[in-house]
Amino acid sequence: MIEIKNLHKSYKMGSNSLHVLKGINFNVEEGELVAIMGSSGSGKSTLLNILGMLDNSDSGEYNLDGVPIKDLNETKAARYRNKFLGFVFQSFNLINYKSAAENVALPLYYQKVGRKERQEKALKYLEQVGLRDWASHLPSELSGGQKQRVAIARALAAEPKVLLADEPTGALDSTTSYEVMDLIQKINDAGNTILVVTHEPDIADMCKRIVHLKDGVIVEDKKIEQVRADQYV
Amino acid sequence: MFDRDIWQEIFHSIKNNKLRTFLTGFSVGWGIFILVMLLGSVNGMQNGFHNQFNDDATNTIFVSPGKTSKAYAGFEAERRIQFKNDDIEYIKKSFGGDFEQISGRMRRGTTARYKSETGTYQVQAVHPDFQVIEKTIIMDGRFINTNDLLSSSKVAVIGRKVAEDLFKKEDPIGKFVEFNGLPFRVIGVFTDDGDDNAERGIFAPISTYQRIYGNTENIDQIALTYNTSYDLTKALEFSRRLEDIMKRRHKISPEDQAGIFVWNYAEAFDNISSFTGLLNKGSIFVVILILIAGIVGIGNIMIFIIKERTKEIGVRKALGAEPWQIIKLVLFESIFITGLSGFIGLLFATGILAAIGPNIKTDAFADPSVSFSTVVTATVILVIAGVLAGLIPAVKAANVKPIVALSDK
Repeated sequence: MIEIKNLHKSYKMGSNSLHVLKGINFNVEEGELVAIMGSSGSGKSTLLNILGMLDNSDSGEYNLDGVPIKDLNETKAARYRNKFLGFVFQSFNLINYKSAAENVALPLYYQKVGRKERQEKALKYLEQVGLRDWASHLPSELSGGQKQRVAIARALAAEPKVLLADEPTGALDSTTSYEVMDLIQKINDAGNTILVVTHEPDIADMCKRIVHLKDGVIVEDKKIEQVRADQYV
Repeated sequence: MFDRDIWQEIFHSIKNNKLRTFLTGFSVGWGIFILVMLLGSVNGMQNGFHNQFNDDATNTIFVSPGKTSKAYAGFEAERRIQFKNDDIEYIKKSFGGDFEQISGRMRRGTTARYKSETGTYQVQAVHPDFQVIEKTIIMDGRFINTNDLLSSSKVAVIGRKVAEDLFKKEDPIGKFVEFNGLPFRVIGVFTDDGDDNAERGIFAPISTYQRIYGNTENIDQIALTYNTSYDLTKALEFSRRLEDIMKRRHKISPEDQAGIFVWNYAEAFDNISSFTGLLNKGSIFVVILILIAGIVGIGNIMIFIIKERTKEIGVRKALGAEPWQIIKLVLFESIFITGLSGFIGLLFATGILAAIGPNIKTDAFADPSVSFSTVVTATVILVIAGVLAGLIPAVKAANVKPIVALSDK
């Protein structure tokens, strides 16, 4: 699903250049649930942003579902993002003046899906995250966990190839974190490929594979026995 | 443009961001409001000036005799010039195509009496042509004609106010009224929409007054209208020629400023026109300043809006919005808001002008209104300006990397 070869990325910080990713080689198969771990500054978020086409790499190869991702202009990147990827952010990033259902329907609008189908799908995915009854509520009327579940529903609505979650539990307490991870595991069980960036070991243990980043290189890449989140819920 | 979804997005965003919408709309609406009020006021002043000067024919020339200030052709200075009937005949012969109407004029105060009512008025003794020169409107009866002049009949055309004062409810036509003890038959009543004072006047044949006052052929003043096809230069050239000829005829030095006065309406009108023209130019300048202020205001608010929406734009981009879709969203919203609020400002201002316009009754101000095309042009300019002002931040926002827009850590 994802193939990355020798990926480099550096940021200019004034006159200094900060080399964040120093040659990443990394593959993800369909249906995997991968945790990308590392302390802050290890380059894990940068890697996720490049995977999400939110940021460009300096050099290296990146293939997504067999499509080489390079020389993207904004329009093309937008189309690929819409077609291939679903995002879940630490700070949810819901549009605050839109109801839960409208937020979920937004990626479908950019897929040029008809109005009626958008509404039906939005409700279907809200149902899947257990928020069917909250469809008409604004984000400000939802709890943190509920907001993140709406965000997950939104990411799912576009039926992406890969779901990218950047610290999805970073802003949540542990109980709510486990609820969200339970949801993510269930989505993965259904066959979706998911990448989770986290610095919390217990969240990483709930994935099937852990990739450890340190100072811009992968220091460890191991498959693990998944800890199910539903036992904590 | 007519995609229902995008408008739904726009209305949604307007409905949920009332303050932002209000701020944008207010700056546009206010700009248009001030603009319309200003243009309306300038128009009102212009109309006021024109009304005041349109009362008399605007192609009138008055020739008045004076007292010479220079010795010339064997005559001493301080000689009083007197016009006579043959001066008019002379002008008629000498300036065939130059003038349209010509009339002599004598002005005498009189005490008029009808039955027990008396009043003091000014009688203007004139030729029949004078009706056109003064734009006198006959309400009843007729003006002085050539027969009256030839027979020096004691007839009078009285002003509306005079008729009210002396005759009360009676019909004055055919009645005899005494001017300084002499009976005159009233042949007409006139009105003058320029001013009420003119309606306190009386007209009589000039020959009659010449006979009453010493049986002379004297004329106090000559009034004439120049050929209406003349433009300003030609009109002024004619009055200069007239002055030269009359000076020569009365043996006045060509350099003497005091012997004869030729007063040409065209000259005064030219001054008024250049004044209102200046007023117009001034107002256009102010309008441009207002438009610039409006543009800067809209631009400011647009930048604020884009800043406020940076994160939202980042989210939309992450979800697959193309840059053009972002630009479209922001632009259509600003076009809609500026257009609508410009229209509201326009309605308010024209409404106020329409409401107060008829109630303003001063000489210098009349009918304050603006031409529709001016206002529409201004609105369109403002909307386009709003779009341009919004376009720059919109394009900038659309090109922001989502990663930057979304960064909050």
